[in-house]
Amino acid sequence: MRRVAIASMAQSSGGESRDSLMDFTFRVAKEALDKAGMTRGEVGCIMIGSSDIFHSGLSCSNSFDWDGTGAFMKEGSRAEESIFAFIYACMRIMSGQFDTVLVTSLVKGSENPDNDACTSFFADPFYLRPVGMNETTAAAMQMREYMLHYGITEEQCAKVVEKNLGNALYNPYAHIKKKVTVDDVLSSPIISDPLKALECAPKSDGVVSVLLASEKKVEELTNRPVWLKGYGCSIDHFYLGDRNLLAGELKTAAAAAYKMAGITNPKKEIDVAEICEPYAFQELLWCEQLGLCGDGEGGALIDSGVTQMTGTLPVNPSGGVLAMNPYVSRGLYRIVEAALQIRGSAGEHQVDKDVSMALAHGTQGFAGQCHSVVILKG
Amino acid sequence: MMGRPVAIIGTGQTYHGRRRDVSYPELVREAVTAAFEDAGITPQDIDGVVSGTMPSMMEGISLTHFYFADALCQVGKPILKVETCGSTGQSLGHCGYYWIASGMGDIVLVVGHEKMHEGDSQATMTTVFDPFFQQTFAAGAPGIFTMQSMEWMYRFNIDEEKAREAAALVSVSNHDNAFDNPHAHIKIRVTVDDVKNAKVITYPVRLLDVCPNSDGACAVIFASEEKANKICKKPAWIKGLGFRGEEFFFGESDKSVWPSATEAAKDAYDMAGIRDPLKELDVAEVYNPFTYQEMIFYECLGFCPRGESPDYVLKGTFKKGGKLPCDPSGGTLCTNPIGATGLIRLAESVLQVTGKAGDRQVEGAKLALSHAMGGTDQFNGITIVSSEM
Repeated sequence: MRRVAIASMAQSSGGESRDSLMDFTFRVAKEALDKAGMTRGEVGCIMIGSSDIFHSGLSCSNSFDWDGTGAFMKEGSRAEESIFAFIYACMRIMSGQFDTVLVTSLVKGSENPDNDACTSFFADPFYLRPVGMNETTAAAMQMREYMLHYGITEEQCAKVVEKNLGNALYNPYAHIKKKVTVDDVLSSPIISDPLKALECAPKSDGVVSVLLASEKKVEELTNRPVWLKGYGCSIDHFYLGDRNLLAGELKTAAAAAYKMAGITNPKKEIDVAEICEPYAFQELLWCEQLGLCGDGEGGALIDSGVTQMTGTLPVNPSGGVLAMNPYVSRGLYRIVEAALQIRGSAGEHQVDKDVSMALAHGTQGFAGQCHSVVILKG
Repeated sequence: MMGRPVAIIGTGQTYHGRRRDVSYPELVREAVTAAFEDAGITPQDIDGVVSGTMPSMMEGISLTHFYFADALCQVGKPILKVETCGSTGQSLGHCGYYWIASGMGDIVLVVGHEKMHEGDSQATMTTVFDPFFQQTFAAGAPGIFTMQSMEWMYRFNIDEEKAREAAALVSVSNHDNAFDNPHAHIKIRVTVDDVKNAKVITYPVRLLDVCPNSDGACAVIFASEEKANKICKKPAWIKGLGFRGEEFFFGESDKSVWPSATEAAKDAYDMAGIRDPLKELDVAEVYNPFTYQEMIFYECLGFCPRGESPDYVLKGTFKKGGKLPCDPSGGTLCTNPIGATGLIRLAESVLQVTGKAGDRQVEGAKLALSHAMGGTDQFNGITIVSSEM
């Protein structure tokens, strides 16, 4: 299997862009190419991560997205989620048929309905949709179960928001810039009991591009390649009643990624993690399932300060999804942020320690139905 | 440079049509089960799943891999959701190919699906256009394909009567072929006069020049060389593939020479080492939702010179028993569950080169082309399979 490296990256900020979606996309894709000194014509193939009508107002959004991502008359394809696009692009390089792939994921959240309206269309039309199921209501049930089963407190969940929005103040690309305290979180309106408003991710704009290259080619493009070391993905049953919401498929995905990367003790070997936490408590639960702490110890983990920017295992130094949630591209943002930390070029939100191995995580679906885990190394 | 050899070891299709008897997940499961039976393996044997549909409002469900987690037998496995509009089926197959070629998996299940009778397909397709400029005058799929047909006839100075006659023959031949295919949707005997007198949809395209709305799913199982040789007596081997896309705005590109179709085919031929497709290919499954468009494809795919496809059709080059039989399955013209259609083309080409095509078998077929088109006449994908590695 050929090795794959990230050669360059670019991202937009999460605030509402006044550019058209095509221009908005083009600027970021072009920046990633410019940073590697490459032209569109030289790239082997183009991979798009974007979503359908529910997230863009366009059916077959790849039709519209094609031009802005630089794909005109290029070999290419599109995946419905950004980490899917990333790993498919990696496969194309591993196959030996391409030496470079430009992956771009895009969504303009400011132009389409609320996340809950979009995610309610994941539900089947017969059983779940009529009762109002969407990602937020599913997460609320999961949070209640998490608190009841392990004695996790609302304060511990709220601490995640305080930490992540605090980190976001130092990330120039983050969408939500607001210093909040645990009390602010606890006194924010209840969205879907027990979830409070500040514990739910916003809806953001976001275009992010990554130029991937083969081992041979990457030498020409950068002297700071970031390597793909591990990947895992797994999906759970659809109906919530068929699942254990506190022991989902993230463990399976993580185990596969760790095996591929040769990681036996993730707590020790991973230096920083960018975790997809659209709901605050999920950061704690996902940390458990990623093996960064024991089952039920997510609350103690945040209390200990380990996951703070200054801790021994910082989680979401970028501010995470709570600070910026471009739904479709948020997974690739995690990858880019993890890679920036490895390169030591995250700027003001660079963590205080040497980063060699970083983890990026993405999830979509009700209560984390589908998870992807990516391990990167310098 | 070629990666690991990649084989197809099994295919499965639903009985396509108006499937009121099953739910959408049940439809998907029907194809998946058929593919596992054909390959003689179980869901435990697969390393991952690729799935996709025409990404749209068609069935009122978004990101269907969540809803279909159980139907696709993918729980506990890695998945990839790949979608490129009408060309989805070919893009799905390409993803299956790269998954195996990369070494990230040894057996991968690839599934395309669509249940078009759940929604309004033409209203859905109109939303492929942007809301500011094109959507206001786009009239679903026939509108753009008609403009393309007119542009093509004008550009190559093709006599309209001759093109009309040839298009009618294309329709008759596809409808006849569908009778040989137990999975085909539309099974009606039509004559050249029936086609020429059918009601106009968008001039010059008439009702019998147009594909139906279908419910259907298709599953194809990809495997590495080692697994294929162990599991399968007669696998099909992927020899070449290509996918290209043009500009989004319809008026900006030249649809009469159709660069994406031409270049995608060239990529696939280069990879497969094919220099004269008309001579070397034994059979082709061309994506033909419209008769006129099928003729444009013959030219783009290099089966005949530009502007001459009606002459070749009138000579019988592409019909059953001709020099290069096209769409012995009845093609897209008789069966079009969009997200599955491009994969059905691949599955049909696999059946041909493995000698499993039943009544629609082209005698001795060894090398076959499959193809799909998508977007606003924007994307083209090609896969070439062979009975030999």
